[in-house]
Amino acid sequence: MSRIGVFVCWCGSNIASTVDVEKVREEAAKIPGVVSAVDYKYMCSDPGQNSLRNVIKEKNLTGVVLAACSPHMHENTFRKAAVKEGLNPYFVEIANIREQVSWVHEDKERATAKAVDLMKMMVEKVKRDKPIEDVRVPLNKKALVIGGGISGIQAALDIANGGVEVILVEKEPSIGGRMIQLDETFPTLDCSSCIMTPKMVEANQHPNIKLYTYSEIEDVSGYIGNFKVKIKKKARSVVEKDCTGCGECWNACPMHKNVKSEFNLNLSERTAIYVPFPQAVPLVPVLDRSVCLHFKKGGKCQKCFDACGPKCIDFSMQDEIIEETVGAIVAATGYDLMETSMYGEYGYGKYKDVVSGLQFERLLSASGPTEGVIKRPSDGKTPQTIVFVQCVGSRDPEKGVPYCSKVCCMYTAKHAKLFAHKVHGSQSYVFYIDIRSTSKGYEEFVRGTMEQDGAVYLRGRVSKIYEDNGKLIVKGADTLSGNQVEIAADMVVLATGVIPKKGSDKLAQMLGISYDKYGFLTESHPKLRPAESSTAGIYLAGMAQGPRDIPESVVSGSAAASKILGLFSKSEYEVEGTISSVNEATCVACFYCQRVCAYNAITRKEIKDRSGNVVKVVASVNPGLCTGCGACVNACFSKSIDVKGFMDDQIYAEIKSLAV
Amino acid sequence: MKTVLNEQSRRNFVAQVESMLHDKLSKCYQCGKCSAGCPVNFEMDYTPNQIIKMTELGMEDTVLNSKTIWLCVSCNTCSTRCPKGFEVTGIMDVLREIAERKGITSKTEKEVQMFHEVFLENVKSHGRIFELELVGKYKLKTKHLFRDMFLAPKMLEKGKLKMHGETISNLNQIAKIFKDFE
Repeated sequence: MSRIGVFVCWCGSNIASTVDVEKVREEAAKIPGVVSAVDYKYMCSDPGQNSLRNVIKEKNLTGVVLAACSPHMHENTFRKAAVKEGLNPYFVEIANIREQVSWVHEDKERATAKAVDLMKMMVEKVKRDKPIEDVRVPLNKKALVIGGGISGIQAALDIANGGVEVILVEKEPSIGGRMIQLDETFPTLDCSSCIMTPKMVEANQHPNIKLYTYSEIEDVSGYIGNFKVKIKKKARSVVEKDCTGCGECWNACPMHKNVKSEFNLNLSERTAIYVPFPQAVPLVPVLDRSVCLHFKKGGKCQKCFDACGPKCIDFSMQDEIIEETVGAIVAATGYDLMETSMYGEYGYGKYKDVVSGLQFERLLSASGPTEGVIKRPSDGKTPQTIVFVQCVGSRDPEKGVPYCSKVCCMYTAKHAKLFAHKVHGSQSYVFYIDIRSTSKGYEEFVRGTMEQDGAVYLRGRVSKIYEDNGKLIVKGADTLSGNQVEIAADMVVLATGVIPKKGSDKLAQMLGISYDKYGFLTESHPKLRPAESSTAGIYLAGMAQGPRDIPESVVSGSAAASKILGLFSKSEYEVEGTISSVNEATCVACFYCQRVCAYNAITRKEIKDRSGNVVKVVASVNPGLCTGCGACVNACFSKSIDVKGFMDDQIYAEIKSLAV
Repeated sequence: MKTVLNEQSRRNFVAQVESMLHDKLSKCYQCGKCSAGCPVNFEMDYTPNQIIKMTELGMEDTVLNSKTIWLCVSCNTCSTRCPKGFEVTGIMDVLREIAERKGITSKTEKEVQMFHEVFLENVKSHGRIFELELVGKYKLKTKHLFRDMFLAPKMLEKGKLKMHGETISNLNQIAKIFKDFE
């Protein structure tokens, strides 16, 4: 016989002002099987929890119903209190009479009636509850970090320093990501490569980090604690362990024209065998077979091979698939800059001296195509007047994206500042809509660009840029004075918006994590779980989640790392027991459940007799992957699947309680 | 209105204004608090913050021919309240002076400009205001000889109009102020 206790919470006035809590308590006391019904001002408070525990003990309760706030809030609190009195945690049920009643209704009488109904349903449910044990999943204590930019490197280093093995996979020939392309960083103006290369070197030399560059993720399966990952190590054509990075090969390569350097964003040329930049990690070249004469002309050219001292060039090298098993994954896939071809009016691509923010970054950089001397791409002259245009693509729901790219205000102020420092007597104009400079030292930095470095800021968008007599004529507006403004510039820098890295949506699909309509990976909760993805065991970091600056990327990398170290500090991972289970006696192996499962949690299971012959095939639930969503329950024709804690007889009893 | 920015003339104008103002135009971040509190803003053609921005952009003709610079009554509300400590009242003074030197006559605020000239002349020669002389010269200049005449007896009665003007003892210091500004 059930011995149920019902506890009605006032939640101060949150519930009590709209629901007659005493009436709910009185109604509860009338239900057969309810041996105790109380109401209390704050059930979640210490005295509230103590009264719950006392009643469980004194009345020897077999089940508890709390008519209170959403289970999202305090289900855990009450379950823990019940466990302390020896009750299975799943014998605690919550009737949500705050979010679903008092906060959404005004009529007290009808709200009270609804609260009574919800409470009655939960009493019927708890009567039929069965003890459920949480599932324990073993953990492979090894992590995979996808993306070798600043946030990926930070995550890898933090995990590795915590004593856990890390596999760091980078698509490009070198780690370093976007940050290593930058010249100096706002607001302190420390040189990006000076602060980035030590981290890159540390990641490369760390005994706990295995680095795969020029590699891509081919396939991911499995679940938290047990992900099976296939990594495609693309044929580099250079044997990494023998290469000394001396440079004889790329100096010998005859293909030194017509191939644009991706690292310098097409502002310079590179050879067929190349390292993207001098501080590349690892300092091992890659042979680009799509342009190499050896591959294009049937093996005639092998100048690099001849020049190589240790003979580490291998034209026959093949792509290699490496399989790894890891317990957790960090997705730090980074960002791209938006194409600006939709802005015909700005002439990007048409006029050589209209460049993107990242291209200007390369023009400023000492390792860039001009060795840090600002020269305009068209004729190599040093520009005297530069117009900077902010929000190109960002905050433009018509042609671009509606969101703010966050870093452009700051990098434009930095560009104008560095331009003033490098070209004395020069002048920069900045067209902006708003200036967003919200972190430590940022506002002062932007004001300094205006007040000390003389950049003139104009509030308004640019309408058109055209060439006239060797100058770029910029037609814009200054909305503060209400004027149309025309400026003759030597060069124009477009602060192009930030978009997710190309292909990150495909990777997200492979990982089974969600992304928003722009392709940015979405957090499990935007405020309270910012480092976790929607899938257990997969964490997020850096710009893959949305626009952010370097400090924030570093923080997010460290956050993901600390989550993983926390996860790995236990020997097993505990999953809530409310997952699907298959009745193997009735399952007809139609596997319709497998087709509807969004989490790939259903597998085939063969039941064998003593001599090892397969007698039956049934569906089986992988507890590591199942989230208890219930899709399979709906799909099952033979009614062989139920979600524990939400069995059919419980649901029917709940409905029946309303009919009485 | 369309403005073609000429880098050199913009820089020259900004340099001239800033050297007379002893302040930097780039300090202004266009919050508009000056315009929000200005008691004569409703009569102006450009708000004070617009005057500052246009000066920074080198729109010399527009600002020197604006009503605003002549309508400013130098009450200093703007400068007192400015969060950046910018000399808003000062820029109006500077622009009036530049307009004077260029021989620009305000088309709409002729009489204000005349009063400005007479007033400064009065200060220059006495070190303070000699009301009777000021009124006399202003009336001759504007040719409105009898306007407001009925106020004279009352002012005389209250001692607001003195028959003999006073000149301060260290007039050379006033001369120095004027000289510094040039």
